Amino acid sequence: MDRQKQQQFFQEIIEQHKGILFKVARTYCPNVDDRQDLIQEIMIQIWQSIHKYNDQYKISTWLYRISLNVAISFYRKSSTRTQKHTFLNEQVVEVPAEDKSEDEQKLNLLEQFIRELKEIDKALMILYLDDKSHTEIAEILGMSVSNVGTKIGRIKDKLRTRFSQLMS
Amino acid sequence: MNELELKKLWQITNDKLEESFVIHKKNTDDITQVKVYNILGSMKPIKIFTLLVGILWVGIGVIALSSIYLNSFSEANRFFLFSASIQMGLTAMALFIYLYQLITIYQVDITDPILRTQEQLVSLKMSTLWVNRILFLQLPVWTTFWWNETMLTDWGILQWVVTLFFTISFTFISIWLFINIKYENRNKKWFRLIFRGKEWIPLMKSMELLDQVEDYKKQNTSA
Repeated sequence: MDRQKQQQFFQEIIEQHKGILFKVARTYCPNVDDRQDLIQEIMIQIWQSIHKYNDQYKISTWLYRISLNVAISFYRKSSTRTQKHTFLNEQVVEVPAEDKSEDEQKLNLLEQFIRELKEIDKALMILYLDDKSHTEIAEILGMSVSNVGTKIGRIKDKLRTRFSQLMS
Repeated sequence: MNELELKKLWQITNDKLEESFVIHKKNTDDITQVKVYNILGSMKPIKIFTLLVGILWVGIGVIALSSIYLNSFSEANRFFLFSASIQMGLTAMALFIYLYQLITIYQVDITDPILRTQEQLVSLKMSTLWVNRILFLQLPVWTTFWWNETMLTDWGILQWVVTLFFTISFTFISIWLFINIKYENRNKKWFRLIFRGKEWIPLMKSMELLDQVEDYKKQNTSA
């Protein structure tokens, strides 16, 4: 793939799958400014890996791998992050939802629960809530399908307990 | 609240937010102009520099020490010679760790599955522990560099007691630290005392992540 095609492909996948980047960043970064830095970092990593894209995997699997790997590992070094590419930050616009309905409260509870999870459990939870199949989750995380089932079962138990405590 | 309801809520909300989340074309254009930049990549120059300086230092040291061993061993201060040899050997070991880190940096693939990539990144970070173990192991030789043969004839008991106290204590401490600075002791007080401070946060966090990776791997094997 020549550079022009790579650029076009990059723009297409970012536009079509920006939700993945956004969801991951939102889960790992409660702070909006930090979140924009993380999204930018993920985009840079996607661009720099685009030549390695292998179509044996679904594009969403590939994007989830990059986004989660960046979110888990690179972003933990927030104190050492550089300001190299801040020129991009101001141009990524995020408009938060204003609706504060009961559903919104439930969603807040869910997000709070996810934030309290450990890094890899968080990844598993995002994929589960996104309704990914156990096979795809296994491919993204690099674990067996049966292990995915076990892990999801445990997190669901915790979630149930948490919700029943908070709602009662 | 049932889980289907929760999933639906999560998806609807994210879809709604996603619609209002805009990435301008200019952003993606700008990113395609960024030349090979990533946080891990930024570690490469410093590792390569350290490796080159280290190779130069050990190279000069080996040449100088070999020349003393071969040509003037009988006249040389053996305390200095043996101390310098040990120090040089330990520095060479540290260089191998830097080389390992450099190779790992080149091998890490951000598009690999999460557990594999994270395991590589964690072991990269954890190898910093080895560098520290080796640094501590050098402690006793810094107390013997300056020894000489006149000490054997001219020194009184008090001078010997003080000197040996430092050398033996440093030897004991360095060996103890070499053996005990390891992942398994990460929660001990003394360990957290040595590795406290901002610069060690990524290392401590890596250890926490290693627990998670190990946990997932364990279940992977038993599944």
